[in-house]
Amino acid sequence: MHTCDLDISINRLSKIEGHADLDIKIKNGKVEHVELHVMENQRFYTQAVKGKPALAVPQIVSRICGTCSVAHLTGCIEAVEKTLDITPSEQTMVMRKLMMHSLMIRDHALHLYFFVAPDLFGIDSILDIDEDKKEIIHQALHVKEAGNNLSNLIGGRSVHAMFEQVGGFTRVIDNAKIPEVVEELKSIRPLIVDLAELFYNCDWEMKRKTRFVALKTEDFSYLEGYIATSEGEKIEEKDYWNHLHSVVLPYSQAKGFEFEGEEYMVGSLSRLNLNKEAMHENTKKDMKKYLDVFPSENIYHNNLAQAVEIMHSIDHSIELLENREFVKEEIVKPTKMSGEGVGVIEAPRGTLYYYLGVEDGKVKYANLVIPTAQNLINMREDVRKVVTDICGDNVAPTKEWEAKIKLEVEKMIRAYDPCMSCASHFLKINWK
Amino acid sequence: MSEKKKKVGVFTFTCDEGCSIYMIEIFNKKLIEWLEKMDLEYFLSMKDRRDATEFDIAIVEGAITTERDLHEIKKVREMSKILIGMGNCTITGMPTCQRNNFTPEQTEAIKDDLEKFDFLEKCLPVKEVVHMDDEVPGCPMDEKKFIEVLEKYL
Repeated sequence: MHTCDLDISINRLSKIEGHADLDIKIKNGKVEHVELHVMENQRFYTQAVKGKPALAVPQIVSRICGTCSVAHLTGCIEAVEKTLDITPSEQTMVMRKLMMHSLMIRDHALHLYFFVAPDLFGIDSILDIDEDKKEIIHQALHVKEAGNNLSNLIGGRSVHAMFEQVGGFTRVIDNAKIPEVVEELKSIRPLIVDLAELFYNCDWEMKRKTRFVALKTEDFSYLEGYIATSEGEKIEEKDYWNHLHSVVLPYSQAKGFEFEGEEYMVGSLSRLNLNKEAMHENTKKDMKKYLDVFPSENIYHNNLAQAVEIMHSIDHSIELLENREFVKEEIVKPTKMSGEGVGVIEAPRGTLYYYLGVEDGKVKYANLVIPTAQNLINMREDVRKVVTDICGDNVAPTKEWEAKIKLEVEKMIRAYDPCMSCASHFLKINWK
Repeated sequence: MSEKKKKVGVFTFTCDEGCSIYMIEIFNKKLIEWLEKMDLEYFLSMKDRRDATEFDIAIVEGAITTERDLHEIKKVREMSKILIGMGNCTITGMPTCQRNNFTPEQTEAIKDDLEKFDFLEKCLPVKEVVHMDDEVPGCPMDEKKFIEVLEKYL
């Protein structure tokens, strides 16, 4: 029998957010180690916010990640408001939900059309697609622009939105522009059915038993709820940290997390597995075939789950925009200037946790738990399984064989939609 | 006959990638038109292929904070005729270079990571390390200005 010995290194994984390298060592047909190096250089935001005015901190941490800036902004605002005892208005909550929906549309579309679709078509870049299939590029740009225009309407900008602040929005939505944005959202619905169909028909499969974790919200709005797991646990937002255990990955500029001592997964797949009943009625009607796939343990269904979420975010946004006149409101002021608070939301890639300690209006300490960091250990174990399954054939290593491992592993990592810019952020806390 | 298409590379140094994400949003309206005049020869967000060795236009984002960044930005400069900096990180270094303004206590707290991952003593804007032919300020960069600057060279 042949045995395989192979060292595989992938320098700078492409078509993901940020910078990561991967090393795999195989000896005698066994996977000796898998190291996913998050090579995104730290920018030390959790240090940088110390001493800064709490009310200004959300706009600072928005810069942790250009991809999901709206999630950092919104999650941190929630933590500041819980800390300083601020209750935002109902209209503010509606506008935040709209911001989160605009983010999901833009961000999932970027991932599915630009990062994953090339693997489906066996090409390097979506720009290389055959002439007769070029329509998909136009569809991608159209879907993203609809999300972008929704962000512009509510927050003033899709990246580092200016109007979203602690206590409310500094500008009211221009009601006159709503019909145009709603029409554009309606116009992309058929494209999202096509997109879901593409991933529904995709036969990629990688199953491994794991725990799925997500914030369960009543209206699938990604804000406010309780944390649910596939093992049946129910956890209040403020207690989430107590169930997590951080794991130092010495080779990486990010650390990983375990939930109750075991790996777990957060993100679209977890949300669909745990909360699909809460989706919008129109989504449930028009996406039934795709929703019936969940719950699923197939990691590649994270792609299908994202497509379904785009539809839900379109439908929920249309409902929120069509049923109210937006009015100018005052920003709600803090009722105290010291305390501690937690904000938990669902970012595109999963549960995002912010914890703040504030004294006299200034941040004394901050901690955050990033979705991609929570997925790192699960991802590593999945890579191990993919490689082990391929090695199981006991084929002698060849160039083609190495290429197959690289292809399969990259495809699998991409299904997680990892974001390395985010993952490199954490804090070593000296609890006193 | 139309002119030869410009070879364009997009390079990310240390930052949140907000400018390249914002550029992709600008693509929603402009990409099809721009692809008549340019080929994206290097852009890891959109393709894996990375064998190009020279560029008519390099679009860069981020600040220079490690030895690896420093080595790579010099290489990008050598390979490119025109180098455009996207966003404040390339021009002033901020916000990526915020560690330069840390208190001694804050610097002490990050010391181990700085040593372990070959960080430079000071984080630098791209502009201080290599010549930038043009720049687009903002965090994220300004949309109109970016369109104006890129179209100038296409």
